[in-house]
Amino acid sequence: MIGPLGGCIVGPLLLAAACLLLPSRLARWFALAGGLGVLGCGALLVADFAARPGADFRWLEQHDWSRAFGAAFTFGVDGPAALMLLLAGLTTAIATVAAWQQSDRPRLYHALVLVLLAALAAVFTALDLLLFYVAWEAVLLPMLPLIGLFGGEQRRYAATKFFVYTLAASVMLLAVLLLLWNSQPADGRSVAVPSVVAAAHVDPVHGTLHGLVLQGPAAAPRVHVPRGFDLRHLALQADAFAAVPLFGTTLAVLGLLAVLLACLVKLPAVPLHTWLPHAHVQAPTAVSVLLAGVLLKLGVFGLWRIGLPLFPSAAAAAAPALGALGLAGILWGAWAALGQSDLKRLVAYASVSHLGFCLLGLASGTAAGIAGALVFSFAHGLSSALLFLLVGVLYDRAHHRRADGFGGLARPMPVFAWLLLLGALAGASLPALAVFPGEFLVLTASFTAAAPFPAFAAAATLSGILSAAYLLWTVKRVAYGPLRHGEQAAFGDCDGRERAALLPVAVLLVVFGLWPKPLVDAVRPACELLAALLQGRSA
Amino acid sequence: MSAGTTSVLLLALPAAAAVLCACLRSARAAHAVAAAAMLVATLLAVPMAVEVVGSGAVVVGPHATWLDLGRFTLGVGTMVDPTGAVLAAIVALLATVVLVFNAWYMHDEPLAARFPWQFCLFAAAMQGVVLADNLFLLFCCWELVGLGSYLLIGFWFDRPAAADDAGYQARKGSGARGVLEHRLSPSHAQWKAFVMNRVGDAGFLVGIGALLAVSLQTGAEGDVLSFARLAALPTADLSAASLFGLSGESLLVLAALGLFCGAVGKSAQFPLLGWLPDAMQGPTTASSILHAATMVAAGVFLVARCLPLFPPDALAVVGWLGAFTCLFAASIACVQWDLKAVLAWSTVSQLGLMFAGLGAGAAAGGGEAAVAHLFTHAFAKCLLFLCAGAVIHGCHGHQDLARLGGLWRRMPVTAAFALAAVLALGGAPWFAGFVSKDAILAAALAAAKVPGGPGFGPFLLACAGSLLTAVYLLRWWLRIFAGRERQLEVTQAAHDPPRAVLAVLVLLVPATMAAPWTFGDWLPLPHGPEHATATTVALVLLALGSAIALVVWLLAPRAGRDLAAQLARVLRPLHTACAELWGVERAFDLLFTRGLGRGLAAVVARLDLGGERRLAALELDGAPRPLPASLDGVVDGLARGCADVGRAGALLHGGRVGVYLAIALGALALAVLVGWSA
Repeated sequence: MIGPLGGCIVGPLLLAAACLLLPSRLARWFALAGGLGVLGCGALLVADFAARPGADFRWLEQHDWSRAFGAAFTFGVDGPAALMLLLAGLTTAIATVAAWQQSDRPRLYHALVLVLLAALAAVFTALDLLLFYVAWEAVLLPMLPLIGLFGGEQRRYAATKFFVYTLAASVMLLAVLLLLWNSQPADGRSVAVPSVVAAAHVDPVHGTLHGLVLQGPAAAPRVHVPRGFDLRHLALQADAFAAVPLFGTTLAVLGLLAVLLACLVKLPAVPLHTWLPHAHVQAPTAVSVLLAGVLLKLGVFGLWRIGLPLFPSAAAAAAPALGALGLAGILWGAWAALGQSDLKRLVAYASVSHLGFCLLGLASGTAAGIAGALVFSFAHGLSSALLFLLVGVLYDRAHHRRADGFGGLARPMPVFAWLLLLGALAGASLPALAVFPGEFLVLTASFTAAAPFPAFAAAATLSGILSAAYLLWTVKRVAYGPLRHGEQAAFGDCDGRERAALLPVAVLLVVFGLWPKPLVDAVRPACELLAALLQGRSA
Repeated sequence: MSAGTTSVLLLALPAAAAVLCACLRSARAAHAVAAAAMLVATLLAVPMAVEVVGSGAVVVGPHATWLDLGRFTLGVGTMVDPTGAVLAAIVALLATVVLVFNAWYMHDEPLAARFPWQFCLFAAAMQGVVLADNLFLLFCCWELVGLGSYLLIGFWFDRPAAADDAGYQARKGSGARGVLEHRLSPSHAQWKAFVMNRVGDAGFLVGIGALLAVSLQTGAEGDVLSFARLAALPTADLSAASLFGLSGESLLVLAALGLFCGAVGKSAQFPLLGWLPDAMQGPTTASSILHAATMVAAGVFLVARCLPLFPPDALAVVGWLGAFTCLFAASIACVQWDLKAVLAWSTVSQLGLMFAGLGAGAAAGGGEAAVAHLFTHAFAKCLLFLCAGAVIHGCHGHQDLARLGGLWRRMPVTAAFALAAVLALGGAPWFAGFVSKDAILAAALAAAKVPGGPGFGPFLLACAGSLLTAVYLLRWWLRIFAGRERQLEVTQAAHDPPRAVLAVLVLLVPATMAAPWTFGDWLPLPHGPEHATATTVALVLLALGSAIALVVWLLAPRAGRDLAAQLARVLRPLHTACAELWGVERAFDLLFTRGLGRGLAAVVARLDLGGERRLAALELDGAPRPLPASLDGVVDGLARGCADVGRAGALLHGGRVGVYLAIALGALALAVLVGWSA
């Protein structure tokens, strides 16, 4: 029987089939239903984790796949995954509303969005590495046509680049998968359970850890881990992977490198980011919303789920380099955004800059930093969605996106101008808007982390100047001053459909800006567990 | 009602009023709601201030944990100490007055309904800064104060740049120099204010981060950023703390300078001062609160609040920079012709004087002196701006000191109020500024005598600044109100504001007098031997400055020529430098806006994706291969390389029998060769 998490994957797939088979006017309703369904599951889970904080996995379900490979359809959600699931559902719903009037092949379009949602939900809920990998790659399949068929003039170039770049970066994951399988003894392995893991995960009723029977004294429990791909079992064998020699180094180091390559391209980290501006500029508005809102977060989530827990010792060693990459992304992205004339490209580079904070927070290895990175990911989904939607509003009216081709729109379009200001202020990390808590946590955590992270944090504070400069400059150029182009006086303000997409995002930005506690509480225990594991390794 | 509960209401009332007013379409209703909320806040705040000042105790209000991060928490809560209580009351009172004044001032302004909610947001954020019980909440409200100023400065968001604005050109100060008119507009001024403040805030964040790191390294946990916990930091054992290779007290110096950096931005100190004169693009009523009790006051308040955290080295920096700004801005104020610009630079100068006082340190009584001057300055500056607003309103927007004059006949009450404010600000005896400015000079003098202190530099700079203060303030008043009317078409329609408005304005007048501020001994101003010296010095400077201003003004008409112009000719290089703002605006523009901003951004953007031509040619098949001069070009180059390898390989499988035969023979030869050598 399929549980709710399986439903988050199967449901959208069934709805996608329905989109293709049933009349086209129903397709958007199916896409909306899919998004809202996942949104509901995510919201329930986040509420659950916020009310009963814990580092455990919830809503676990398992279905047979391949016993020979030790692979199974294992689903489960921890706090960060709940947050991401919520974000995936929310963004899909918003993007669907934004594409409500899709006239070009609507059935195909909405079916692709639903397939994308299913793949995303699978990534966020998979607890099996093989399943994770399949879902990770499956995300690309709907994205290729979504950009390549529905995009702008250079859509073929952008879609090809996006697909080849991200695929090439993640194929090495498959090699790691096989190496991990090969390094496990056929009859499994007896491993010591770190006390923090035992404290966080042991089922008090049955005395088991992820279904594994505990052995030995309670102070130093051991478990017998079967050979397979269950991520929870793999994480228990982290020390064993760090001891497997491979090509002159260890499996853990090479494994981390492969995961990093896959995740840093997705994130994207400078200098692996140049696919992003093309993809964003060419993608239709709603697809940009999905791309910035959720797809970039795959990079954060991959590091969270695979990179850091499976290879903690290598990750601890690589932390300064990762932090430096994060800082490079923050500053390079900000300055590149400052130099853009195309509004969509500007927002794309703002994303590059912002996702640098996620990398910095994850690399800091502190609970607050990791929690900040995850909450920041969620908030960035909202703020970037708002900005891309607003650029879309402009494009629908003016059919161009040149920043210098607008001016004084606050008179004819007041609601648009206020929302643009809100989005810009959120992106500039104003307190009381949702991006601020995550960014503040990442910064303060980096100040309290070991050297060189305080120096990274000090340099990262420059982003506050730069983001305010380029985002508010955009507001000034587009919305304020006298009307520069007479015909724009006739532009209508955001209509009902546009407001239906924009206002929920704006409201959530304010709500989670004033009250981020549930988000942070939901992820914190899991972050503390990971931070403890990382610090145990680096010490 | 306890002070703790009142403090929450002081925050909640303006915030609620802001939300409510944002929903109102009618300007009258919105002003009424906002003014009512502020009036209630004033009526709550004044008794609270009296109570707290009377007891001298720090009252801790409600506190909640905003985020719990295990090792530390971030909290939201209020606390009320005498300084905070008085400032909160001043904010509420001045906000009420300004709102009432604004209802009249903007009676024919189509956008007037926007003013109250933005104004209330501004006031609420400032109350947050004043009443926050921890540095984190203070920072959040600090940023929201920045938002409030952003909104109010850009109130007339659709005005063009000053160079293209016929109205601005007709009414601007004559001989306005140093102003980049092609860039001066409300929408640019608001951007500039926000971004310049963010420059300071970057330092503020480093300061917070350093304090947090030091606290955690010394074993603290919980709400480590609360002021109660931070105050204990200087006496704690800091030997375990280290950050950026610094340790011990030098870490505190770093943290203190970080906080001061934030204050430099918010309070428009050198070199982050260019935004404040530009902020005059906002409504005069917004300026009157921005220059008095909110925004710029926040920086001084922050340093005063965190003064225990400032080691002597950091204090010396504060004192020197403040005193330098005091003189620097006063020199500029002397040669301005725009009536609001004089007041703007005056604010910068007076804030510098406050920092000079703070830099003298708590031991010399600098903290109390600076705070006292913050209070007296708030009333005087608010009143001055409201009078300026009345003048501008009466003269249809004209604000050129060269064309105004003789207005005391047409608006006698305004002239009297403005004179009271001028005397208060200039530090005339029996007026409020006399008390507080003396205290600052005395504190600076006391600090100068301490070995290892900042030395006599800050004191001397502050003295020079005080001299010029008397000059420019008197010049300002004389040029507007005294003498004959220079241009009748400008001034003939001027009149005092209606009685109801004057009745509210008159509330501010007693506060410009000395008596209320010396009533009781709630602010223990320094009364050492330095005090007598400082009083003498201040009086001599005041007399000298007033004499200069009077002589220049009196002699001007009789000589047939304007003596000011003559003086300007003699002192031309100095005059030019002052009028050009000592080049600081242009330098800032060149270095940051064009250099590090646009220039570097263009380079980065070019290195990242390549130029527009490359981007336009991406989709064209058979487009010439540009050199991979950009990051993205390198990626494409790699992709092309792979494709070329593939194409080369494809040649081998092209179906040509000759190629296959050659491959087969080559392989055979290779096999034979290898076999033989083996």
